[in-house]
Amino acid sequence: MSDKKEPKSIERRRFIRGGMQMALAVSLGGVAGFSLLKSTSKELVWQLDPFKCVQCGRCATECVMTPSAVKCVHAYDLCGYCDLCGGYLKPDSNARSTAAENQLCPTAAIKRKYIEEPYFEYVIEENLCIGCAKCVAGCTSFGNGSLHLQVRHDRCENCNDCAIARVCPADAFQRVPVDNPYLIKGGFTKGGTSKDQLKKG
Amino acid sequence: MNRKLVNIVLIVLAVAIVIVIGKDFIGKKAGKNIENPFEYNMDEFRKVDSTQILYAETFHFPLKIHDWAGITVSDSMIIVASANHLLKFDYSGKQIFGKQLIDTATCITIDENRQIWIGMSHYVVMYDINGTLVKRWNSFGDRALFTSLAVSGENVFVADAGNRIVYHCNTNGQIIRRIGEKNEQKEIPGFIIPSPYFDVAIDDGGFLWAANTGRHTFENYNADGSLRTSWGVTSFKIEGFSGCCNPAHIAILDDNSFITSEKGMPRIKIYDQHGQFIGIVAPPAAFEGSLAPDITVDKQHRVIALDFERQQIRIFERKKE
Repeated sequence: MSDKKEPKSIERRRFIRGGMQMALAVSLGGVAGFSLLKSTSKELVWQLDPFKCVQCGRCATECVMTPSAVKCVHAYDLCGYCDLCGGYLKPDSNARSTAAENQLCPTAAIKRKYIEEPYFEYVIEENLCIGCAKCVAGCTSFGNGSLHLQVRHDRCENCNDCAIARVCPADAFQRVPVDNPYLIKGGFTKGGTSKDQLKKG
Repeated sequence: MNRKLVNIVLIVLAVAIVIVIGKDFIGKKAGKNIENPFEYNMDEFRKVDSTQILYAETFHFPLKIHDWAGITVSDSMIIVASANHLLKFDYSGKQIFGKQLIDTATCITIDENRQIWIGMSHYVVMYDINGTLVKRWNSFGDRALFTSLAVSGENVFVADAGNRIVYHCNTNGQIIRRIGEKNEQKEIPGFIIPSPYFDVAIDDGGFLWAANTGRHTFENYNADGSLRTSWGVTSFKIEGFSGCCNPAHIAILDDNSFITSEKGMPRIKIYDQHGQFIGIVAPPAAFEGSLAPDITVDKQHRVIALDFERQQIRIFERKKE
């Protein structure tokens, strides 16, 4: 009589109970593991890779901040300090001057300062910059690519789903550790001074 | 009945999830294709008058190695240096010689004795035509960045973009003179070299020409290092040079007309010996990207370009009248 099988309904009930216990244990373990991982891993923030950037203008129009938290920054060690600066002057400018009609920047956020013949320094006024990348396109096309965009973390809300990253055609946005939040250009500062590297800006 | 209801709920849920994901995907795709209100439009400057195009591309062939340093030509042979190799091709694109270099090359030229001179960033080596290493100069220091070489008899001119100077050396690498240092008394403006584009060439009279790329000028120097003459046009238009470092590469034909190659908006042009714009060898539409092709010319006045973007050797010949 001892080899009598248990009824089928009891077997199924035991199986469901066991399954539920297992699922609970796994989910609890998962939550605990995820919490532990999150507490030990570094916090991440959004940043854009200037070498991937295609100067599409989305940083100016898509950011939830007004004006955008993306700003133009200047790698002075890459800059040629040119008189005829492709990032400052419109291609069809009638003179190499600071006249408004000759400036490429729609908000006049770049200040041109004479240093010595024939050098000029270009400084970005971040309060005026809207992150449109027009100057970046000009500098990349004709210069060394010293003007480039970066997410400025004193302004960025660090949205979970970055509105610019969603529409960036170059997928240039990425999460970077908060303790190293910028991807600044500048071959000389990073020790990369090979001819090929500099040619690529 | 209950099972039927559960199935219906599950199907509705699955459809809803698919709709949400699809909408997000399509929305994201549409967002990526919106127009750029801040577009930097260079189309106007890429257009050229077709009557100004005096050359036509007659042949091109691909290069299989990357990181090319420069190109030169001798007789019916095209010689190119990549970062690590020296290669020779005939005009049909057939490789006839290949050799690994001892270091990373940055520029190349060939002299009238068919000796190949290669700049290795901060020193120079010389190979004979069979690829045997004949000379190796001492280093010019860590700051040196050699971008061009020109040889005339026993005189070797080395363009150093790092120190913004042209060294006039003998064939053993001893410096005879430093050319182009700023000197107001001698009215030498000094080289402005914002990036590693600094080319030199020798004209038919044996005089040195250097491209002062920061000023968009060609400067011609006497044997004693004094400035003989200069010319240049700064403009985004076709007859001028723009950006920080143009003309990036130069070559001189035996009638002393100049061939120029520009970066930013790549184009190859021809100027007469006085610097007057003659016409276009290759318009911007012939190129992709922004790197300036290195150029050389042969005795038949063909322009041979090393296109870094397409990884090709491209041969341009003057159109028949």
